[in-house]
Amino acid sequence: MKDIARQSMSIKVESMDLLNGQIKMEAHASATYLAMASWCEQNGFFTSAKFFFKQAEEERGHMMKIFNFLVDTGGNPISPEVTGINHDYSSIVDVFESTLEHEVKVTKSIHNIVKKAREIGDFATERFLDWFVMEQVEEENTIRDILDMIEVTGTEGVGLQMIDNKILDWID
Amino acid sequence: MNVIFQSTYYTLYQAANERCFYVDFGQKMVRMSLCQLLALRHKVMSIDIEHHFDSDLNAHGFEVLMLCNKEHLFVLNTLEILDLKKLVHHSFVSLGLSVETAEFSIS
Ligand SMILES: [Fe+2]
Ligand SMILES: [Fe+2]
Repeated sequence: MKDIARQSMSIKVESMDLLNGQIKMEAHASATYLAMASWCEQNGFFTSAKFFFKQAEEERGHMMKIFNFLVDTGGNPISPEVTGINHDYSSIVDVFESTLEHEVKVTKSIHNIVKKAREIGDFATERFLDWFVMEQVEEENTIRDILDMIEVTGTEGVGLQMIDNKILDWID
Repeated sequence: MNVIFQSTYYTLYQAANERCFYVDFGQKMVRMSLCQLLALRHKVMSIDIEHHFDSDLNAHGFEVLMLCNKEHLFVLNTLEILDLKKLVHHSFVSLGLSVETAEFSIS
């Protein structure tokens, strides 16, 4: 018997479901960073706003990477619904702390997919996610560095403006 | 055509010579590509059966299911949806695209 299913699709549906979930998460991250950019613009942190505009674009890039992987493997990529984007932050420190929290959540989610892919012997998905695993290390590190810089600079007096200016170091 | 899986109300067939699948819905036979079968799976799995037991969320206990780019329309009751969920679940295991060996669960 010809195996039409296997000939049409090269990953497992369990991986596909998890990757569709990840597409949603990356879209949510992109929208969240856009909300942060908006907050920064409105509160006079113009360099930080630039940083978050760039982050928003990167997250959309991540989403598209997964979307295209599902296309390439014959899966069924689902365009994500994005809801519940928070626009309220108490300070610029709150913004960056939320960013780190968000990135850690994304890292955990990616690790979970790698783990599942390994369990079910879906090597293609496992190898595909290598890039994401390393990307998350880099992203977490960036935000941690920024939080360290904020700690050293302090938020008293001109501190906040200095913090915003220094964000330029993280925009290539 | 080979039978891939048969549930109480539905049967999935593979038509190797046409490189496609057929789902026998009882009242009609629907030809589907694997992509369309994946879309059916997504739609069926997105149905929250709990809503059928809450008259605020689903007053009549029916689901309207549109398949193959709105070419086909089905109105299915709770039992039929449960059976379709079962068909989808076991079919993908039979097709070798799902590794799920655990007992079928509704959610
Ligand atoms: Fe990302
Ligand atoms: Fe990220």
